[in-house]
Amino acid sequence: MRPRLPAQAGRLDWVLIGAVGGLTLIGTLLVWSATHAEQLQLGASPQEYLWRHLVNVAIGAVLCAAVAMIDYRVLKAYALYAYALAIVALLLIFTPLGATINGSHSWVVFGPGLQLQPSELAKVALVLMLAWLLGEPHRDAGAPMTRDVLVSLAVLALPTVLIMLQPDLGTTLVIGAMFLGVLMLSGAPLAWVGGLVGAGIAGAFTVWQVGILEDYQVARFAAFADPSLDPRGAGYNVNQSMIAVGSGGVGGKGLFNGEQTSGQFVPEQHTDFIFTVAGEELGLFGAAAVIVLLGLVIWRMLTIGAQCADPYGRLIAAGVACWMTVQGVVCIGMTMGMMPVTGVPLPFVSYGGTATLAGLLALGLVLGVQSRVRTFE
Amino acid sequence: MTGPRDPRRPGGGPGGASGGRRSRPQPRGRATPAAGRPRTGTNRAAGRPNPPRTPRGDAASERERPRPTPGERAVGTAGAALRAALRRPFRRGNPKRRLNAGILCMVVVLLIFGARLVQIQGFEAAAYAQKAEESRLQDTQIPAMRGDITDAEGNPLAMTVETRTVFVDPTRVLPEERAAVIELLATELGRPVEEITEHVDAAPSQYQVVARDVPTEQAERILEHDLGGIATERDFQRRYPNGEVAANLVGFVGADGSGLEGLEYSLEDTLAGTPGEQRVEIADGVPIPMAGGLVREPVPGGDVRLTLDRDIQWHAQNALAQQVEELGASSGSVVVMDLDQRLLALANYPTYNLDDVEASTPEQRRNGAVADTFEPGSTNKVITAAAALEEGLITPETEFTVPYSITRHGSTFSDSSFHPTENLTATGIMAHSSNTGTVQIAEEVGAETLHSYLTDFGFAQETGLGLPGESPGVLHPVEDWWGTSLATISYGQGLSVNAVQAASVYATVANGGVRVQPSIVAGATGPDGRFRSAPAPEERRVISEETADQLAYMLESVTTDEGTAPQAQIPGYRVAGKTGTAQRVNPETGSYEDGGHTSTFVGFAPADDPQVVVQVVIHDPPAEDPYGGPVAGPVFNDVMSFALQTLQVPPTETEAPDFQIYGGE
Repeated sequence: MRPRLPAQAGRLDWVLIGAVGGLTLIGTLLVWSATHAEQLQLGASPQEYLWRHLVNVAIGAVLCAAVAMIDYRVLKAYALYAYALAIVALLLIFTPLGATINGSHSWVVFGPGLQLQPSELAKVALVLMLAWLLGEPHRDAGAPMTRDVLVSLAVLALPTVLIMLQPDLGTTLVIGAMFLGVLMLSGAPLAWVGGLVGAGIAGAFTVWQVGILEDYQVARFAAFADPSLDPRGAGYNVNQSMIAVGSGGVGGKGLFNGEQTSGQFVPEQHTDFIFTVAGEELGLFGAAAVIVLLGLVIWRMLTIGAQCADPYGRLIAAGVACWMTVQGVVCIGMTMGMMPVTGVPLPFVSYGGTATLAGLLALGLVLGVQSRVRTFE
Repeated sequence: MTGPRDPRRPGGGPGGASGGRRSRPQPRGRATPAAGRPRTGTNRAAGRPNPPRTPRGDAASERERPRPTPGERAVGTAGAALRAALRRPFRRGNPKRRLNAGILCMVVVLLIFGARLVQIQGFEAAAYAQKAEESRLQDTQIPAMRGDITDAEGNPLAMTVETRTVFVDPTRVLPEERAAVIELLATELGRPVEEITEHVDAAPSQYQVVARDVPTEQAERILEHDLGGIATERDFQRRYPNGEVAANLVGFVGADGSGLEGLEYSLEDTLAGTPGEQRVEIADGVPIPMAGGLVREPVPGGDVRLTLDRDIQWHAQNALAQQVEELGASSGSVVVMDLDQRLLALANYPTYNLDDVEASTPEQRRNGAVADTFEPGSTNKVITAAAALEEGLITPETEFTVPYSITRHGSTFSDSSFHPTENLTATGIMAHSSNTGTVQIAEEVGAETLHSYLTDFGFAQETGLGLPGESPGVLHPVEDWWGTSLATISYGQGLSVNAVQAASVYATVANGGVRVQPSIVAGATGPDGRFRSAPAPEERRVISEETADQLAYMLESVTTDEGTAPQAQIPGYRVAGKTGTAQRVNPETGSYEDGGHTSTFVGFAPADDPQVVVQVVIHDPPAEDPYGGPVAGPVFNDVMSFALQTLQVPPTETEAPDFQIYGGE
């Protein structure tokens, strides 16, 4: 096998791969620990989530390798198809195939055991699409034009609206931040970035004030904007997560020994709130390790972007880095009461089929860029 | 530095230094990198002083670039301008600088997170650990078992049995066991399958009560199947095995198990006990009792034993109900007590069944024997007589001239039926229940004295039973009595009592003049299993024994054929008593007109060795024959006979004396 690997395999960014591998390993243990108590109580196999997670990771790793081997420039041709596919998948949510799981109407179920979260796939498609639109040197210009920015805004708006209708604040934030990151590194003036952020805030405020929305939309928007309207109570969640993290202390209570974790005080501990398990069972060192590894991943991705002379490759790396940053910061920050509670998974750590696949796919894209960085020098 | 001739010719000039200038004349061509790069500050500086001398070709080519722009502006539309604006490429910002700024931001954010982590897990870890423990450890209440209420013999009137509440946690029912769970619950609990299915499929609910008050053995049978999702909770059920006996007295508990009515309410402190506290640890989302975590054992409530006799109570209820229904009266009460005024029965009509409290109305639940007050009427004459005898103003043989009617303070008082003016003894006045005679006795006693005797006999005071809804009746202070008050009060109008108060007067007379405060509770068995008698009720001598004996003699005359209540005679026993037929105030008019009557009979037996006192009150008997003798007398007779038998009171086998009814005999 080795001899057949492309030449650039030898130049792969092993720091990035190692950091992602570390996060995945920790994540696997945490998913196992977070679910085994409840599984036991249900009389089900305590390893069920562990195996399912490992299967997800394995599929994701294969996809990651495959994508990394393809010359990322070839993917340009498929960006539009990927985008169209993501939109169709997002639309499927509003058909009878759509399903509400854990209070969020963001799933498409094709059959038992085969369910997808289209919004996760939409992130990958959007990265490719935005990088293509803003990174393609337009004719002779060598930089995007105002028209390109407007087109990319439209491209962003379609999935954003569909995701907001679910409603999914977390993913909306992630793709919004992704767009801003890609836009900034595409060479657009800072005024554009600042202007868009301002316009977004003003627009949301206007829609809110004028009241053109239907009641149910307002209700959704209210729940979207104010997590305390969540019946499960965001305040409770934050309180319980901080207790779980804090009670872990410096040394942690050890895997499978977290009373707060096994007591199921914090909801969604194997997905959105998985950092609380790290905090309680692995302690300060374990939790800090997660933060450091995540920092390494983002740093490497941004560095890869900086090294890539090709704007398209640079923007792919930057978009993925923004995606990982926002999810990581929100996911960790909310368990320590520093961020509002919004449901996003911790990259490479949380349980979740589609999220794991999407994360590893994105990693594959970045590695594909990285391994070809020097071809332009 | 360079000479003015340098830019003259493309090929000319000394070296590449002039290349920068050479590129300019080539507007359509691209500057070769080699030509563009060496452009230096010196070249530009050199160029500046020379513009006027630039060759024509140069000048023309220089102007070529700006020219199209004004041309477009002039010819093009606004759309063209917009198109141009849209196509204008951005000058790229330096991506590397922006990336570095991004990395810096990320590092700062992650460092803040790290610092926060150190704060929470390092410095504040102990506080969070304590909070964690607090949230895991919870104190839950263990309900205490409520005490029983029994009659004097220990027959239960209210009791508590331990039961189980069977519930399902739908989130913990395994899919492969779902059918088994439904079948088991449906067959064991005898519920329809659809109903059980609804509960089992009610996720995300985690608590679906399938059945309450399931017997413990049955619940344990269900748990033996060891199916996930089925669980039980210990619970208590209050039962009333004699649901129709003394319902108005016993009362009932609410859904939370605390007393709402009757003795269940008034004896709450004794019956309820003290709930225990159990410290539980929440593990895996369910509370698990901790070993050694018991904070406090529950203290069960005490079992209360009443003075009541279930059989007499039941008989009294039936006798009363039968008579009220037969007469078409509205309501009534029967009070049975011994000489120490321990209640043996407290019957009411209407009544209800404690097994089906929901079906009852407030009127049915009313404990009329203490809650309803009425004007006692002629039964009150015994107090007028008692005062006169005790004060030495009369003897049973003192003679009075008794006309049919007399006038006092402009009001005419007359007897219930016409009779010519007679010469009656005090005994005769009692036997005939003469109002005009009683008024004359009262006038000898005086208002102050009569009032003080009424008070001594317990009028307008709480009975001491402590039953909810009790009304003490009305006795106006003597200062507020007006002209006719003494006269009316002497024969029981213009004041009000409840049935227990009225019975209490006769029990006092029967007890040789000593009034013992009425009681219903004999005692309670505490958590230690020891029976403790209720504290001895207050006793007080109201009249002398001699007066009491004289009154007994006078009252016995009432049940003779000569008296107003021959219906009260019981073969083999000597019975003393008094009828009462009081007018009721019509609540609509405030006068006695069309107010109906309250018919009473109260008495004790055996007259010469009293053991039992029975008071019968019937409200709103038929207007054509409302008299206490025929209305209340038969019920008295029935209940008293039964009570004497039940209590195994032997006849005294003495002869009744000759009663001196008329004077001059």
